[in-house]
Amino acid sequence: MSEVIMKGLKKVYDNKVTAVHDVNLVIKDKEFVVLVGPSGCGKSTTLRMVAGLEEISDGELYIDGRLVNDVAPKDRDIAMVFQNYALYPHMTVYDNLAFALKLRKTPKAEIDKKVKEVAEILDITQYLKRKPKALSGGQRQRVAIGRAMVRDPKVFLMDEPLSNLDAKLRNQMRAEIIKLRSRINTTFMYVTHDQTEAMTLGDRIVIMKDGFVNQIGTPQEVFNRPVNLFVAGFIGMPVMNFFDKCKVVLENGVYYAEIRGVRFKLNDFQQKALKQNGVKTQEIVAGIRPQHITVGEGELKATIEVSEMMGSEYNIHARSNEDEVVMLIPTYDLATDVSMGRTVAFSTKPELIQLFDKESGNNLIWYDAESAQNNAPTCKRYDF
Amino acid sequence: MEAANPAKRAVKERAPRVKKKRTKEQRILSLKENAPYFLMVLPAVVVVFLFNYLPIYGVLIAFQDFMPGDKILSDSTIWVGFQNFERFFSDPMFWPLMKNTFLICIIGFVIGFPLPIIVSLMLNAMKGRRTAKVLQTIFNGPHFISLVVLVGMLTLFFGRYGLVNNLAASIGGERYSYFLESSAFRPMYILSSNWQDFGWSAIIYIAALSNVDPQQHEAAILDGATRFQRVIHVDLPAIMPMISVMLIMSIGGLMGVGYEKALLMQTDGNLQVSELISTYVYKRGLTGVPDQAYATAIGLFNSIINVVLLIIANTTSKRFSENSLW
Repeated sequence: MSEVIMKGLKKVYDNKVTAVHDVNLVIKDKEFVVLVGPSGCGKSTTLRMVAGLEEISDGELYIDGRLVNDVAPKDRDIAMVFQNYALYPHMTVYDNLAFALKLRKTPKAEIDKKVKEVAEILDITQYLKRKPKALSGGQRQRVAIGRAMVRDPKVFLMDEPLSNLDAKLRNQMRAEIIKLRSRINTTFMYVTHDQTEAMTLGDRIVIMKDGFVNQIGTPQEVFNRPVNLFVAGFIGMPVMNFFDKCKVVLENGVYYAEIRGVRFKLNDFQQKALKQNGVKTQEIVAGIRPQHITVGEGELKATIEVSEMMGSEYNIHARSNEDEVVMLIPTYDLATDVSMGRTVAFSTKPELIQLFDKESGNNLIWYDAESAQNNAPTCKRYDF
Repeated sequence: MEAANPAKRAVKERAPRVKKKRTKEQRILSLKENAPYFLMVLPAVVVVFLFNYLPIYGVLIAFQDFMPGDKILSDSTIWVGFQNFERFFSDPMFWPLMKNTFLICIIGFVIGFPLPIIVSLMLNAMKGRRTAKVLQTIFNGPHFISLVVLVGMLTLFFGRYGLVNNLAASIGGERYSYFLESSAFRPMYILSSNWQDFGWSAIIYIAALSNVDPQQHEAAILDGATRFQRVIHVDLPAIMPMISVMLIMSIGGLMGVGYEKALLMQTDGNLQVSELISTYVYKRGLTGVPDQAYATAIGLFNSIINVVLLIIANTTSKRFSENSLW
């Protein structure tokens, strides 16, 4: 059971700057959790606290049921893969892999067996006698992963391990990590600022901003049910379209979303949720994902400014009055002319509209005040 | 077999690369384009030429029967070939000078070369960055003391009525004339030189250590390395190229010990060990009845030894490591 439990984890630096505020998170055994957020959001600091490279200012950290706040990094039974690989340049790949085991005074034969085993899994056997500078970025990253693997850690920590690679190699290595995960089957904690990596790798994603956890959920959850404007804007590519000065209107017990004067009757689920949350007629920010827009129908109008043909879809940048609208339209069976300069009608399904409170930015349906209070914000669950 | 691998064959058959000759216009254009850079480097070139290359012309007198006031090249120049060198090799001072110079240089090098490396590694490994910086500043201080003041300090400490003798006398010991004893000359000379320069020499290593990727240290911490093991496995390899370069340069200048400090510390009592090639050159070339041709020959011989040592050190380093000066 290599479970990681963070209870009110906090990091305050000497200059009184708080980098991480009360993180509460339970990472289950063999779970792959990705910490994602923009630069300076505290994701790496959180990971480094788990690794023992940063002192924990407040809160408790348990690894495998053991309180490890004051345990030295080497005794936490964790391994970490760094952004810059952090390989020892003067050592061969073999020695890099064997170094931690040598320090633990593991018998030579066992070291040899372990190193060769890991090298085979990572397909780096042919490079064992080379030094890191004679390897490509991808090969170095494999060695870095291998160095962590030889230790058989309970928890695997990865700090932006793919960010030094080019786009093509990053995709390859991402697939490798997914394969690797199925082979070594341990608990993973992965930090990235790339939401694609987060979505593809994580069982659950922790979205952070300014040292606070904004939402914890599965990739599908954070995409479909973002708890606030930040999460909605951060997750998803292209970024969600936001329409301010919109309204949620309660009329004769029925809720409508009003975007640029066009009313959308919300579906039964939304009706119940808004009612349960006691929402009245109010100004909101409406959010529609580019993938959820259809062209050629509806009352909303937009003039196409840029139309990018991506093969399977069009990436359209259009202007609807003062709003810039991005649409991702599949090319398959597209009947409407989407060339630049054309004015097209567009619409969406009401159930795909996200409704955010204008003041707080919280999602009127999915924001769960109770879980946010516990500093482990997940989206709200409904029984109906 | 070859036919099966057309790519390999193509590489084999590729015509040798021919360096294209630039036309006169292209050369002029290149000169014009780079004119500002040439202008910037010009003062340095002039200074180096005037003070480093032009005086080389003077070594010609090592092969002449030269008297002060003579022109280096004139119709009356008397060329004597290697006579001045032969005189030096048969000079009764030849072996004592070689021995004294070699010993003072080699012992100084053995103690003085690793000292700044150890100091820089220690300062870098210190947890308190502020303390490390203060210590570094303190260690740099002695470098700025002039040699005369330094020897003055040695006199104050080790003179017959200096601090050390006063302390010894206060506990019933005998006063000892350190400056008159030949056995005390080398330790005083070498240790004071190292004391004066170890902090200054450490700067270059401290600068190199500041480039070490902190993630390597963190990786080593996670691997379970102690502080000392991190110094050995992370810091030391990181400054190894710098150590190699400094080693080559130090070996190249091994026999190039200056005359000033030795002269300042020289007494009749320690003359048999304090007479070095450089002090001998000074005395023969500039004092008494100057024999400049002879002194130049000795100096040239010393420089040739240094060049040979430099080439040997560089070649060895090139063969056994990946670092060399050229």
